[in-house]
Amino acid sequence: MLVYLTKRILYTIPIVLGVSLVCFLLVHLAPGDPLVSVLPPDASEDLKQQLLVIYGFDRPYWEQFLRWVGRALQGDLGYSIASGRSVTTEVLRAVGNTLILASVATVIGFFFGLLFGFVGGYFRDSWIDKTASALAVVGVSVPHYWLGMVLVIIFSSQLNWLPPTGAGPGASSDWQPDWAHIRHLILPAVTMSVIPMGIIARTIRALVADILSQDFVQALRAKGMGELGVFLHIVKNAAPTALAVMGLQLGYLLGGSILIETVFAWPGTGFLLNAAIFQRDLPLLQGTILVLALFFVLLNLIVDLVQSLLDPRIQRS
Amino acid sequence: MALARSTAEIAALPPVIDKSEGYWASVWRRLRRDKVAIIAGLVVLALILMAIFAPYIAPADPLSGRITRRLRPIGTEGFPLGTDELGRDMLSRLIHGARMSLLMGVTPVIIAFGLGSTIGIVAGYLGGWFNTIAMRTIDIFYAFPSVLLAVALSGALGAGLTNALVSLSVVFIPPIARVAEAVTTQVRNRDYVEAARASGAPGFTIVRVHVLGNVLGPIFVYATSLISVSMILASGLSFLGLGVRPPEPEWGLMLNTLRTVIYSQPWVAALPGLMIFITSISFNLLSDGLRSAMDVKQ
Amino acid sequence: MTFKLRSILMAGAAIATAGIMLATGVAHAQEKVLRIGMTAGDIPRTLGQPDQGFEGNRFTGIPIYDSLVQWDLSKADAASVLIPGLATEWAVDAADKTKWVFKLRPGVKFHDSSAFTADAVVWNVRKVLDKDAPHFDQSQVGVTASRMPTLRSARKIDDLTVELTTSEPDSFLPINLTNLFMASPAHWEAKLKAVPADVTDAKQRAAQAWTAFAADPSGSGPFKVTAFAPRERLEMVKNASYWDPKRTPKLDKVVLLPLPEANARTAALLSGQVDWIEAPAPDAVPQIKERGFKIYANAQPHVWPWQLSFAEGSPWLDKRVRHAANLCINRSELKEFLGGLMEEPKGTVPPGHPWWGNPKFDIKYDLPAAKKLMTEAGFSASKPLKVKVQTSASGSGQMQPIPMSEFVQQSLKDCYFDVELDVIEWNTLFTNWRVGAKDATTARGANAINVSFAAMDPFFAMVRFTSTKTFPPVSNNWGYFGNDEFDKLIAAARTSFDGTERDAALAKLHARIVEEAPFVWIAHDVGPRAMSPKVTGVVQPKSWFIDIAPMDIQP
Repeated sequence: MLVYLTKRILYTIPIVLGVSLVCFLLVHLAPGDPLVSVLPPDASEDLKQQLLVIYGFDRPYWEQFLRWVGRALQGDLGYSIASGRSVTTEVLRAVGNTLILASVATVIGFFFGLLFGFVGGYFRDSWIDKTASALAVVGVSVPHYWLGMVLVIIFSSQLNWLPPTGAGPGASSDWQPDWAHIRHLILPAVTMSVIPMGIIARTIRALVADILSQDFVQALRAKGMGELGVFLHIVKNAAPTALAVMGLQLGYLLGGSILIETVFAWPGTGFLLNAAIFQRDLPLLQGTILVLALFFVLLNLIVDLVQSLLDPRIQRS
Repeated sequence: MALARSTAEIAALPPVIDKSEGYWASVWRRLRRDKVAIIAGLVVLALILMAIFAPYIAPADPLSGRITRRLRPIGTEGFPLGTDELGRDMLSRLIHGARMSLLMGVTPVIIAFGLGSTIGIVAGYLGGWFNTIAMRTIDIFYAFPSVLLAVALSGALGAGLTNALVSLSVVFIPPIARVAEAVTTQVRNRDYVEAARASGAPGFTIVRVHVLGNVLGPIFVYATSLISVSMILASGLSFLGLGVRPPEPEWGLMLNTLRTVIYSQPWVAALPGLMIFITSISFNLLSDGLRSAMDVKQ
Repeated sequence: MTFKLRSILMAGAAIATAGIMLATGVAHAQEKVLRIGMTAGDIPRTLGQPDQGFEGNRFTGIPIYDSLVQWDLSKADAASVLIPGLATEWAVDAADKTKWVFKLRPGVKFHDSSAFTADAVVWNVRKVLDKDAPHFDQSQVGVTASRMPTLRSARKIDDLTVELTTSEPDSFLPINLTNLFMASPAHWEAKLKAVPADVTDAKQRAAQAWTAFAADPSGSGPFKVTAFAPRERLEMVKNASYWDPKRTPKLDKVVLLPLPEANARTAALLSGQVDWIEAPAPDAVPQIKERGFKIYANAQPHVWPWQLSFAEGSPWLDKRVRHAANLCINRSELKEFLGGLMEEPKGTVPPGHPWWGNPKFDIKYDLPAAKKLMTEAGFSASKPLKVKVQTSASGSGQMQPIPMSEFVQQSLKDCYFDVELDVIEWNTLFTNWRVGAKDATTARGANAINVSFAAMDPFFAMVRFTSTKTFPPVSNNWGYFGNDEFDKLIAAARTSFDGTERDAALAKLHARIVEEAPFVWIAHDVGPRAMSPKVTGVVQPKSWFIDIAPMDIQP
């Protein structure tokens, strides 16, 4: 067990290195001008060359990479070209906002996903199962950015109940769980929760149906165990997988929030990523991607560890 | 985004079947009984036909419009689904949009199916250091959430059809390769493969006769389940302005340009998303049906 | 089936949200606050030299800072001209035309209450032009140096007099100086002292001081920054001791919010989150008006053109073709499409502008004349002229490039033009613009390029497009238009140091440009903005800028 845990943790190191290399290459091998955000279109070629040297973009790639990784290890992701602010601070603030959104969405999605999944799996092939499964398949098939747009049309544009964009009336740095802020959270969080809802429901349904069809459940029933007992038994067996899926979903939502954050102008990492892409702000772009990818690697690690602690039989390769 | 299913549902993949006489016939028989899958299949077929014959079906030119008749509501005479922000016929644009949208959604999965299963099967069959190198490299890409990887790649490469296809293919290679590797490893250790090896059959023959026949089915089913994800992601890229460029009719891009009119013609603006949804859900239901039809346990 | 499911989903969401409605009105204190939704995705930089194009100058330049020379933003019906700012008067040295003397305004204080003097001017020039200055800031160079192409250095003569030196005689210098904002050196020094001692690298220290300065800046403008949340919000309060009584604010506070999405801006205005939005979505304009908001618009020194290629083999080498294209566009129909939010161009600057110059070629919609010219040039419906134009799908100042380009494409069809659009990414378009029409790999066969530009500075409005010295890659004469005549006209303007004489020389240049038509002039932007009727004292000048200082807001 201990050996597995150590191996699993050590295995993360090469992945992290690989991930940072991919981040760097992604951003630097791309065509385009890294100074676009500080250089107005009418700037001369001469001025542009001077600035490339001042910013160090004329250095060889390996040197730029090593310097970047070296600083990143100390928690310094450099300075945004467009804003001149520290990338670390920018990303961390955005991560905070995305975390609020993604965790609320995960909780909503997890709740309904579990509900639909358990009910569907338990009453397999009944009309309840069919409805729950249909909702689940809608969840995994709906283009969520479109769903967001439709919700805005209904609840903001037509009914005028909820604000269409933003994280709150003021700056998000003073976010607090009061109604003024929660109003802004409802539409994006509901939109975002649809995907984990679908995925969790489908996974849990399959799992529950599978457990129910196993011989030992029949045996338990034969031994006279009540339905509640059987149900608890199922919950116990399904829990590790459910938690794993939830953990991974949180990771996916954190990394994949760009579409929803764009629709709702939510000041999180996706919004930051969008800005970095369209301003070609390389330090900000590679920093944001790196932090999000590392978050995901970390969540994967935690999920694996927790899962193997809960059920030593499952040791993912 | 729903790519997360890959990890969670690998367990739910159809078990590797030892192909026997009449297996495919029985799959087809079971599939035929699955009404939902059949309907989904018919919708997919209709969408494909619509894409192929778009110029013959569409009532108007999807690219030409008149500014004087822009943003007509649904149900306007001559424009059953209204007109867009440039006065182009929405019905014709939605029909033509099927071409680019299906192309963008399906192509990456086909490419990834080809490359990913090759990598996975070779790695699974050879094992050893090749397996380690190939699969650890795959793991690095797998360590990125799919949307992030797709957006970052297309953001870096710049907007455009080719770049979007490249980015999406890169996103789907790792999950397919992992499934292929897992299935192949499983098959490799089966008795008949061991027997064939012991009898000195050349590696290529073993792969061709015993491995391919048994692993391609499950990988294929898995790949079909990715099409709906790919559709949503591809249109999502266009929606962000990272996919195809205007004036190309593509559902994601149409959704993007029509976003500016959600206060004046909301329901016209929502139409392209509905098309993406219909396509995506049909592919999902078809893939579900295929999977359970191939599962002999049921 | 899918429809049914959707309605179930919707119903669920409706139940979840129903009943949690509350009154949305938030009571404000008695403070007079003006809240503005900008189009930028981030707060433009606050440390003196804003980014985000002229929207940056508009919101974090002019309100917080002053420049030596300023634009007159107090009139809506006349062209915006130069007026004294922190300099009261200026003149070029009679003997050496590369030296200028600026007399400074006495008694001006920065927000940190240090005094504005000649030292501050020298310091602010060095921050962007002197690489060896301790406070040199690379991030401010690009946006500043490119807008003052000939300025080289500054020297203090006495406390209220400075001498500026240019690389060549250049009468445009005072216009360029509207882009150099004066930040407080004393405040920056204080920020530098506050940098932790364990940061030893001088460059690191300077960079950190600038970051601190940006979060808590100090200029001499009518508003002082009080709170700054990057990417979200900037708050400024009035500078009650501003030196110009006409521009001493009546408002207590101004809040800037970046809202890059046109829909988000519109929604924010309609729901009362802001009092003013920049560039409302044209389709929402009727709804905005209906709800009682006011739309302000005025012609801007902005040009949305096709810049034509004069490279060998270009179809535009024939002047008849250039004129025909200019006569073939139904600009009033285009204006209708844009909801009235454009101005029909008569040239790079409008009639009545000091640089207008009465050109002999009248740009208008005249289909028969256009057709006649094309027939003379040897084209017809059966033998159309193929042209290719590069444009982008979006971009600052590009208005709505795709629909507008498609409109032009359709219009020109009537005059036997067969237009091919090459839609490329905005930044790529700019790179191509610098590289020029003769570069086959970037031009890709295009013989026209659609890059919009600001036309308030003569160099950027005219010179860079018509001088043989600005052929690529030096500057943006993408199409290689130019000859002796134009070079002489430009030289004459650049060396006319009397303001009126300079304008007369520029008028001659402008008239010749319109007559030779190296552009197809298609539209001028009008800088539309929507405001709550409570905002008073609004003057939208014929400028990219607008002065917030004289505005007020009624409770």
